[in-house]
Amino acid sequence: MSATVGLILRVTFLAFLYGFLALAMWMLWRSVVSKQINQGNLAIPGLTLSTKIGTETMVQSFAGTEVLIGRSLDCDFILEDSTVSSRHARLFYNLNQWWFEDLKSTNGSYLDGIRVEEPVVVKENDEFYCGDAIFTISIKPVEQEERRK
Amino acid sequence: MSAKTATRSHSKQPRLLALAVLFLFFQTAALSLANGTRLHSEQLQPDWLVFVPFFVWLGGILALHKAIKRKLPNRDPWIFPTFAALVGWGMLTVWRLSPSLGQKQLGWFLVACVLFWLGLRTNRLSHLLKRYKYVWLLVGLLLIGLTFLVGVNPTGAGPQLWLEAFGFYFQPSEPLKLLMIVYLAAFFADQIKPNITLLGSVFPTLIMIGVAGLLLIGQRDLGTASLFVCLYALMLTVTTQKRRFLLLIPLAGIAAGLIGYFVFDIVRARIDIWLDPWAQASGNAYQLVQAQIAIAAGGLAGTGPGLGSPLFIPVAVSDFIFPAIAEETGLLGSSALILLMMILVIRGISIAQTTKTTFGRYLAFGIAAYLGLQTFFIVAGNLGLIPLTGVTFPFLSYGGSSLVTNLIAVMLLLKISSEQAAEPLPEPVRRPYRWVAAIFLILFTLLIAASSWLAIFQQKDLLAKPENPRWAVYDRYTPRGKILSQSGEELAVTTGEIGSYKREVLMPALSNTIGYTSGLYGQDGLELSQYDWLRGYSGRSYDTLWNYQLFYNQPPPGVDIKLNINAALQNTADTLLGDEKGAIVLVNATTGEIYAMASHPYFDANTLTENWEQLRQDPDAPMVNRTTQAAYPLGTLVNSLGLATYYNQPQSAVNVLPEVAGGQDEFCQAASDAFGEELGGYQSGCEAAAIALVQNLDPIVFLDQLEAFGLFSAPTFSLRTIEPDTKPDPAIFVTKPTSALEIQATPLQMALIAASITNDGLLPSPRLRNTYLSEDGQWTPFREGVLPVRVIESTAMERLRTSLIGNDKAFWFQSGHALTKDGQILTWYIGGTTEDWVATPLAIAVAIESNAPDLAQTIGSSLLSLFGTD
Repeated sequence: MSATVGLILRVTFLAFLYGFLALAMWMLWRSVVSKQINQGNLAIPGLTLSTKIGTETMVQSFAGTEVLIGRSLDCDFILEDSTVSSRHARLFYNLNQWWFEDLKSTNGSYLDGIRVEEPVVVKENDEFYCGDAIFTISIKPVEQEERRK
Repeated sequence: MSAKTATRSHSKQPRLLALAVLFLFFQTAALSLANGTRLHSEQLQPDWLVFVPFFVWLGGILALHKAIKRKLPNRDPWIFPTFAALVGWGMLTVWRLSPSLGQKQLGWFLVACVLFWLGLRTNRLSHLLKRYKYVWLLVGLLLIGLTFLVGVNPTGAGPQLWLEAFGFYFQPSEPLKLLMIVYLAAFFADQIKPNITLLGSVFPTLIMIGVAGLLLIGQRDLGTASLFVCLYALMLTVTTQKRRFLLLIPLAGIAAGLIGYFVFDIVRARIDIWLDPWAQASGNAYQLVQAQIAIAAGGLAGTGPGLGSPLFIPVAVSDFIFPAIAEETGLLGSSALILLMMILVIRGISIAQTTKTTFGRYLAFGIAAYLGLQTFFIVAGNLGLIPLTGVTFPFLSYGGSSLVTNLIAVMLLLKISSEQAAEPLPEPVRRPYRWVAAIFLILFTLLIAASSWLAIFQQKDLLAKPENPRWAVYDRYTPRGKILSQSGEELAVTTGEIGSYKREVLMPALSNTIGYTSGLYGQDGLELSQYDWLRGYSGRSYDTLWNYQLFYNQPPPGVDIKLNINAALQNTADTLLGDEKGAIVLVNATTGEIYAMASHPYFDANTLTENWEQLRQDPDAPMVNRTTQAAYPLGTLVNSLGLATYYNQPQSAVNVLPEVAGGQDEFCQAASDAFGEELGGYQSGCEAAAIALVQNLDPIVFLDQLEAFGLFSAPTFSLRTIEPDTKPDPAIFVTKPTSALEIQATPLQMALIAASITNDGLLPSPRLRNTYLSEDGQWTPFREGVLPVRVIESTAMERLRTSLIGNDKAFWFQSGHALTKDGQILTWYIGGTTEDWVATPLAIAVAIESNAPDLAQTIGSSLLSLFGTD
């Protein structure tokens, strides 16, 4: 009698213990997923870069979350300038902000005259140097309606 | 965002908490029935006392829950229920292992709850902590310093890491861990940009860590010191965002190990234990070895709360609480425990990334890392993955200082979690947190893998180790099978009540054969070799075994076994041998069944506890079974063996043996006198005859024959036999013929050789067991298919029997003597039946440790002829 009841209690104990773990894990998973969904739903403010090469002005707009600048062909913004490294810098969208990060380029990157050592947030009309090339940033604000979606 | 979290907290935390309450309630309820289950009780008689820790825990936790619900509506929803589950599990386990320590732990828990509550109400707590960081740290260091002056150890020996006040013990290194985290967090939060190249910005922390480390090393608390180094490395990683500091951890570990090994005895001992625990399984490594066996005893689902024997691990309540839990809740329970800690650590690290202040971020991270590291240190130590560090299992181990510190740490985590930042941290800042979280995930997975290795894959091996003492518990709760004689007389039975069963040997003179089983002194004899049968592991159906294991964590009642021993013959043998030292083995010459085996002096297995020391020290060695463990020199028994070899060869190949008359020396004269007739020198065991044989036989042929007789190999037998003698170099028979007389043999070996003489050259293998009582009530023979082996031509044995024929033509015999190494005289007698004998063919060997040929002759001929009249 004692043994049978004891066995039932033991099984119930393990069931509730794993019930606890399962619920906790499920909650964790939900919280991770919901964060991803939140981020995924957010509309990204479009980024437009413009630079002058000689007299010609290059303007390019981007829809993604990452823009790679450099001489290399796999970059998103390719420019032929010997002072620019093959993969010079990148812009990325994170936490509702556009960030600028120097990719350990030879000649460095400067924002407002200060050398960029680690990722910095950029805003509309910021100017930065990659080597000798000057870029101007334009960020298209997201419509309020779009954000609500 | 904060409003959303708040609702989540409110709805989910009670559900998790309810599950924690439920699982602990059912665990407590199962534990309360454990004693009744062990005793196979039909009534439900719960032990209500075990509900005390549950209800105290429930009260404390509900009160705290109410307080945090009001004070911290935006808190993290996982931390509190997980922490509550761990603390409750710990208190229940400590109570189960030691109710008196369990009571103390309850007291500490209540104290910790009050401090928790006070902390919750202190609104500017984190400001105070941050502002007076050096004060807090110095207080911690001073307390450690005090242990050098007035430190004590509650157990009376070992490192003096505790302070004592009013009968309470307090271990300052526990709060120091938290104070150090507070200090480091506050310090790094004040730095705008901590950078290792700017030595100034980390230098003060280096000094403080160094001082704390030195103090701890001075106290030989290397475990806590290495914990500090690892914690520091993790803090540096997240504050500087440089991965290279992670390398500090293995480097510091190796350095601490190496330095510790050569400087501190305690560290050296721990590293030696870690490298090879089984080498000192009954010494320094006893605790670790018992811990591993306990984990194996738990297996997958555990023995059930209260049904295991975790108390075999010394001091299981503190450093070894993990294996204790693993034994009773199995791999399922121990993995769940690790996962619970994992949730706490992951949530802590995640809180660090979402909190408002830098100080809060570093503090939350520090606390999470501390909980994770300490869990890894202790569990990996218990599992033998790393050397033991002597740190506690957070929330579970017995110890007030540790419990109070950990509760305060959780309170801080909860407070930090409720102060969430509006915007998440930038990606590069968050990256190192993910590295650390990944490291902990890997480490904890490793712990679960190692537990599975011990509990599942190594289970059989570990449980079969002689260091596993659980059989002694089984002996008290389920009866062993009876040991019976061939005709059913009880030789050994289990008596007493369940819970205090005892083993009784009803024929004490047979104690050397039956052996003993005692929780104190272990098992020997048949009780050891037939353990599987007597315990019911063999001879019972899988269903029976499984049911007993599942319901009771006990083996089923044991299987009765019958021996070939004939009680009447055995009694006669014991009476005849009397007070003489020596041994008798009587066998069925065809089958090898042993009808009697006497070894004198003997001990009484029923009075083992009273006489143990005396028995062990007795120079007459009453606990040695002389039939299988006495290595007696052959002496002039060489005569029979030599004659057999001689008769086995074509006569043209050997010289004619010289006639040796009896009475060539005093011993064969005495033998001749004892038999009341003039025997030849060979039969009466004259040395001259033995030497003549050795000189006339080809030594290689002779030695090969001795080998065939089994003198240089141990027979397969149900009792422990002595290591057989090694085959000598044939050349020595030429240079020193008497060396043949020094070859050693046991009475059992000689009885088997005698059987081969009776049995026309077929050597049987010895059989002590006859049948077992199977589950369907039938006496079933043991399946032992070892057939007799031909060791010599039958004609040779016929001629030998003729040469050794006795007065009564139905028997052959040879008398012999030997000189033992310490100059004592040993009398031998081997004999058997001839073709004139009409009943079961028999053989006997008698060895007496004195010059007593007439006694040997009486014993031999009486036992042989008695069987016929039986």
